[in-house]
Amino acid sequence: MPDAKQPPSAPVRPFWSGTITFGLVSIPVDLVAAVGARQKSMKLVDEEGHPLGRRYWCPKHEKILDNDELVRGYETDSGKMVVVTDEEFASAAPEKSRDIDLKRFVPLDEIPPFFFERPYFLAPDERAGKAYTLLAQTMERTGKVGIGSFVMRGHEYLVAILAENGILRAEVLRHADELRTPESVGLPKPGKADGSLVRALGKEIDALAKPGLDAAEMADLEAETLRKFAQQKAKKGTGVISMDDLEDPDDDSGGSGEVIDLMEALRKSLGAVGTAGAARTSSAKPAATAEKAAKKAPARSAAAKTTAAKKAPAR
Amino acid sequence: MTARAIWKGHLVLGKQEVPVKVYSAVEDQAVHFHLLHEKDLTPVEQRIVRKDNGREVAKEAQRKAFPLDDRRAVILEPSELEKLEPESDRAIHVLRFVPRAALGEQWFDRPYYLGPDDDDGAYFALAQALGDKGRLGIARWVMRDKRYLGALSAAGGYLRMTTLRRADQVLHVPAIRPDKARTPSEAEVKLAEQLVESITGAFAPEEWHNEYRERLHKLIEAKAKGTKLRLVAAKPKEASGDLAESLRASLAATTSSKGRKKVA
Repeated sequence: MPDAKQPPSAPVRPFWSGTITFGLVSIPVDLVAAVGARQKSMKLVDEEGHPLGRRYWCPKHEKILDNDELVRGYETDSGKMVVVTDEEFASAAPEKSRDIDLKRFVPLDEIPPFFFERPYFLAPDERAGKAYTLLAQTMERTGKVGIGSFVMRGHEYLVAILAENGILRAEVLRHADELRTPESVGLPKPGKADGSLVRALGKEIDALAKPGLDAAEMADLEAETLRKFAQQKAKKGTGVISMDDLEDPDDDSGGSGEVIDLMEALRKSLGAVGTAGAARTSSAKPAATAEKAAKKAPARSAAAKTTAAKKAPAR
Repeated sequence: MTARAIWKGHLVLGKQEVPVKVYSAVEDQAVHFHLLHEKDLTPVEQRIVRKDNGREVAKEAQRKAFPLDDRRAVILEPSELEKLEPESDRAIHVLRFVPRAALGEQWFDRPYYLGPDDDDGAYFALAQALGDKGRLGIARWVMRDKRYLGALSAAGGYLRMTTLRRADQVLHVPAIRPDKARTPSEAEVKLAEQLVESITGAFAPEEWHNEYRERLHKLIEAKAKGTKLRLVAAKPKEASGDLAESLRASLAATTSSKGRKKVA
């Protein structure tokens, strides 16, 4: 939808390896995308068909920058730019950068649809052993899903871990403060509905009631239109180019492939620091003050901005 | 504080029409950062360049190419793309109503509230009728030259629309094969079930506030004041060895700390 502004440089390839813990049981897993790109997505080229890509440009030095020449800065209210390093991002919640601790199980149908943001499959690491199957079987038998959170690329993700056909899936959930309510939107209070109108509308609903979905209704009509047209054009022999090395302009990953892979840096820093400084950060939380600060996070327009993840990481 | 409607349309169900306004249900709370050049902290810009020579390509000279297969794509000119855009009108066509269970959560993309547009009576009557039926409406509409697919639902006396992903995005089979040879024993599953039951509760989203965002703000505040930060890294976890043993110990731990309700 049009109000869903994409940050110019959202995070990149979804890639997280960590551990799901459930009680004292730990299961090493890899996160992989569970939704594909739209079929209608196209590639960016110039008029002659040369592949194009997005790059970062320094207006002062007038040059294209490599990813290792970039840092992330936060502009405070007083206009001061504070640089936050990858190690500092990780340091803000070290345990959550490795583990998804399932602290609570809930019935799946208790989670309102508005909360679901993006699904990922959890692939068992080779060390996962039968603990993976155990968690999947247990959740399928009890009809429960586990709730936990983890940190990736400077953003905390709330997830529901659920099981289907023996495979674990992580559904990224929106945090409660990211969702509006009818009151905060300013919708009028529900009034008393006219009974005869309710019945008339109820009849229309019944007339359209079906036991399930129709695949044709769920198809990507835009892609079908584009494909048909592109095929006709190709038959005439115009505009056909080779597919090597093309980039997707609709790709919300920011394009250049590996913008800032915090996770990679994180892993490196983990290797370097080792276990020495692995102090447990207690779950004591800074409450109200930070809550207020979070509200102030400004959306400025000037230069290229990165967001500590708005949507879940791109596919 | 109220939100601004992003669009107006009317729901079409058979012969009935209900005018509605569309509001985003999501409010961005992410902490935003600027990307800077490390050398002197100049905010960077994004440029579209030719991959082979790095030269910038102006917006007017950029084209989109639709992939025909793995080898070939076809350049579509802006005038051609414009002609392919769907006809715009204000109708949100409700195609069918299905049981809630027909849509798994993988379909759900972005949530929106629908509000009444002048005719409050029709709006609240539909919210009540749909709430009574407990079904989801599958809807299609064209908004600002783009097609949308959505699920219409009613909750708390209001109508909601959640945009949906397309079939080919969702119906995608994972290349994941859990090791079938290593099946947990019945005793282990029983223990795990007990453990799950012992920490089962209601879904209380407000308990799961974004703690990391708060810590990040603290960290930035401290750094802005010039405080030296002590960096902490995580300790990698070992995979569980004896499953039954771990389960029993977990159960003992949860039952001894019963009464501690708070999570996160």
